[in-house]
Amino acid sequence: MKIKFLIVFILPLLWSCTQDSSKEYVNVPLELKVPSNFPPLAYNISQNPPTEMGFELGKKIFYDGRLSSDGNISCSFCHIQQNAFTHHGHTVSHGVNNASGTRNSPSIQNMAFQTQFMWDGAADNLDFQPVIPLLSAIEMNGNFESIIAMMKADSEYVKLFELAFTDKKINTENMFKALSQFMVMNISANSRFDKYRRHELGGTLTTDELAGYTIFNAKCATCHATDLFTDNSFRNNGLPVNPIVNDIGRYRLTQLPQDYYKFKVPSLRNVELTAPYMHDGRFGTLEAVLNHYSSAVVDSATLDPVLNQNGVLGIPLTATEKSQIIAFLKTLTDNQYITDTRFSE
Amino acid sequence: MKNSFKKTIAFFAVAIALVSCSNNKDETISGVGGLKVEFENGFADNVLVLGSATVPTSQNEVLKISSIKYIVSNIVLLKDDGSIFTYPKSQSYFIVDGSDESSLILNLNNVPAGNYKAIRFGIGVDQAQYELGQSGIADFWTLAQNEGMTWSWASGFKFLAFEGTFTSSTLTSDTPFMIHTGKTGTDYNYTEVTLALPTDALVRTNITPQIHLSTDLSQIIDGTNKINLTDHDDMGMGAMIMGGADLPLISANLVNMFSVEHVHNDPN
Repeated sequence: MKIKFLIVFILPLLWSCTQDSSKEYVNVPLELKVPSNFPPLAYNISQNPPTEMGFELGKKIFYDGRLSSDGNISCSFCHIQQNAFTHHGHTVSHGVNNASGTRNSPSIQNMAFQTQFMWDGAADNLDFQPVIPLLSAIEMNGNFESIIAMMKADSEYVKLFELAFTDKKINTENMFKALSQFMVMNISANSRFDKYRRHELGGTLTTDELAGYTIFNAKCATCHATDLFTDNSFRNNGLPVNPIVNDIGRYRLTQLPQDYYKFKVPSLRNVELTAPYMHDGRFGTLEAVLNHYSSAVVDSATLDPVLNQNGVLGIPLTATEKSQIIAFLKTLTDNQYITDTRFSE
Repeated sequence: MKNSFKKTIAFFAVAIALVSCSNNKDETISGVGGLKVEFENGFADNVLVLGSATVPTSQNEVLKISSIKYIVSNIVLLKDDGSIFTYPKSQSYFIVDGSDESSLILNLNNVPAGNYKAIRFGIGVDQAQYELGQSGIADFWTLAQNEGMTWSWASGFKFLAFEGTFTSSTLTSDTPFMIHTGKTGTDYNYTEVTLALPTDALVRTNITPQIHLSTDLSQIIDGTNKINLTDHDDMGMGAMIMGGADLPLISANLVNMFSVEHVHNDPN
């Protein structure tokens, strides 16, 4: 009798318990592998360890135009995956209500390894970077109160925040943490160049590409350093100032005279896909970029000393050297990254 | 009769005093209470009246202040036994707005009962928080944006925003000024202020002390470091100081901007 009682009443209880726990989703940490040819991580991953759901939430936020004041401009509007997350074909990007910006959208990749963001270093911690386009009146012109209200009213967001964060809160902290998780996982490290560096299958460079790499190391790698191709510094690279815009560069941030017309040295990863070039997108081709360095550098008070050696402006380059450098730069194209569906809408 | 009545009263008064004294000594202080920190904004020796002319600064400039806001953060209380109580960092971000009375009093909760002899706080967001990234920010972005204390061109917060117009011997018509401090890329510009209390703040389960601070806004430009607004004027367009070499000097001035008026220890 007692045993029968147990079977009839207790067993169903156990059954329902297991059913419940099998339904409950457990968030999975995402592993971040540092490619062996990369410098160490700059992002403090322990403060915000990426998880499957944090990443998914970050991706949803990245592709959501409702964050902007007119409902149309998402992060992905100016950062298109097939162009290594740049705004291909746009010298400068436009934001809400067709407002026009003054700078060219930088690519998004390997952000976790960089210490300076935006063309002028307006953020030096990845967590703080998205605040700038989100609040800029000519970009997304977003309002935190409305964004959080929008998310709280969207059942999909409610579910994702709940799964992604242990405190389950829908707030600005978790929104930015999720965006960082998405960006931290955006790693481009499988170009032919990477495979060459890591001695992997498919890592063969042609004679021209190798010659280009040698010239690059001798003449470009001072600034475009490491396998990320940036030293995270700010420099005046001798572009003639466009008087219509007169973009003063890092001076805007620091208001220190030595920072006039200085911009961040950009990474050259996937550079073949990210035209147009320079902070204002003035050059449509890599040839034009190299022509600038070889023969069009303009002197000024803050010109980088590297570009003025004993009174010689720029970097001397022959036509052959230029074509070899470009051949080399094209080995930085990472097709796996730009087609990786993990990062797609 | 009269005399003995007086004596009786005196006796009881002394007895009560003694009893209450010994009561105080034996009191086991436990539990938690609240603490209020009130900011009273002024300029030099005068109360701040937004929009009206201040007394001249040492640079002979007269200001009409239209707006003053600052972030108060990282509140730490020092007990008379030498121990410290750090108010939880993530709950320790406040914005004091000179035009909003409700923002002038910071309400701290769950403060361990005790006798506090000093208070420390920051003006702005410290380097440690910037390095933490978004951890602990909660919804401070929303508050900061609603108060106009975010920057869109530098990622972060305005620590102190001081705005209005000024005149000087060379600029005789009202000329705008805007002083915004914050992290600029080279400097954190965070200021830490420590103030000893003239009487201990006695936090108890039934006492919520109130610390009255007075804020002398003249110190921003006319403190240890003297800032001449006229020198910063851009051809009559105004003096806009949001970076540059003077910003760290202004941030350093803020350390002397606050003083303690008095402490109330009235029972709730």
